[in-house]
Amino acid sequence: MNMSAAVTAPVAIRVHDLHKSFGPVEVLKGVSLDAREGEVISILGSSGSGKSTLLRCINMLEVPNSGTIEVAGEAIRLKTLSDGRSRPADQKQVDRIRSELGMVFQSFNLWSHKTVLENVIEAPVHVLKRPRAEAIEEAEALLAKVGIADKRNHYPSHVSGGQQQRAAIARALAMRPKAMLFDEPTSALDPELVGEVLRVMRGLAEEGRTMLVVTHEMGFARDVSSRVVFVHKGTIEEEGPPDEVFTRSRSERFRQFIKS
Amino acid sequence: MTEPGFLDIISFGRDGWGPVLAAGAWMTILIAIAGFAIGGVIGIFGAWAKISGGPVVRGSAEAFTTVLRGIPDLLVIYLFYFGGSAVVTAVGQFFGQEGFVSFPGFLAGALAVGITSGAQQTEVYRGAFRAVHPGELEAATACGMGRLLKFRRITAPLTLRHALPGLGNVWQVVLKESALVSVTGVVELLRQAQIGAGSTSRPFDFFFIAAMIYLAISTVSGLVLQVTERRFSRGVRRG
Repeated sequence: MNMSAAVTAPVAIRVHDLHKSFGPVEVLKGVSLDAREGEVISILGSSGSGKSTLLRCINMLEVPNSGTIEVAGEAIRLKTLSDGRSRPADQKQVDRIRSELGMVFQSFNLWSHKTVLENVIEAPVHVLKRPRAEAIEEAEALLAKVGIADKRNHYPSHVSGGQQQRAAIARALAMRPKAMLFDEPTSALDPELVGEVLRVMRGLAEEGRTMLVVTHEMGFARDVSSRVVFVHKGTIEEEGPPDEVFTRSRSERFRQFIKS
Repeated sequence: MTEPGFLDIISFGRDGWGPVLAAGAWMTILIAIAGFAIGGVIGIFGAWAKISGGPVVRGSAEAFTTVLRGIPDLLVIYLFYFGGSAVVTAVGQFFGQEGFVSFPGFLAGALAVGITSGAQQTEVYRGAFRAVHPGELEAATACGMGRLLKFRRITAPLTLRHALPGLGNVWQVVLKESALVSVTGVVELLRQAQIGAGSTSRPFDFFFIAAMIYLAISTVSGLVLQVTERRFSRGVRRG
């Protein structure tokens, strides 16, 4: 990606001073992050660092205790309940913003009662109210793009993990999202299936899609992403272009992390 | 009147008991369907209460199932029939009616069967919901589905798939329990067999035929259920 474009492109997702606790445990302690359009940001960190929680706060699968999330310049409105917890102020707004963010999960989460094709057209038809024929046409193109056009009428349980994850990526793309969120997309896969999913993600990055990727794949972070964010104990410990942070990080913890 | 032979009992001809037995069987099916449907509504609300209700809602649902499971079903029918009758009688007296007015036996029976099967269906639906992979529900949330849409398109079909085997068992129980409703004077299959047995000297023949009809009903409904189950479990890997 053109680096100068990364600096001037509009902000797709803005996270500001995000705090999130689960009971007494504070998982995020004031995280701020801007993702500009076309950026591919790899979010690294050891388990329990808060990196997945950060990603899940962006589409409100976890509701932050405080802080702001903006998607394409629109802030998600939150309200504080009497017991101190916060909730979305406008559920319709949250649903709409969710439909603009494509989410890919670690465990694929395809709907097991629907075929691969039905999975891909479900939300475009029922959430976005697109005509079914048009949705099917687009879904077939997407399935071809991720390389599983021949599996369109299979149920998820009858295809491999790598194929399921590629179907899940197609499902997310079918919403024509403004940004894609990947939550450890290859962590549940057998080693020999990781490559096919990473290839698809690399293709999306090359198209200039905005992507936030929580991952343990150092190769992807180093070669594909435009920026690397290292989360440690609920704060951003290191951040920068991969060629910079991987070669001369100021953070001792990050150097330890990439060594292990 | 001459004593009927076995064939006379099942015949639909003159003097045959066929038509009344068939009517009794039909009544049995109606009671079972009504009871099962009432139980289904109770079951869905009960499961919802137990899964996502606050402490008060959850507590009352818990109390409901615990109490119902601890009372003999026959007693529940009596409570509804006589309790209902007492209410109807009181209302009747208020409007100047005299004497005992009985609560409709069919309604009492369907309600009683419905409530006991509702307690069972609550557990079936709750267990089925728990068996749904939470990630599939989260994926629906993540793509912007509202509550109702998510329930209709994702949660309900996935839950139903796990619930169907359990619902099949409940249906069989309901079908047999419908026989208890005969104590309220509703002429369903068992009551009709009793009438036949009492007015001829062939009680065994009547009860045997009734047993065969019950068996036929449960076999046919079992087959229907199997087909439904297969339809809903498309995409489930069979081990």
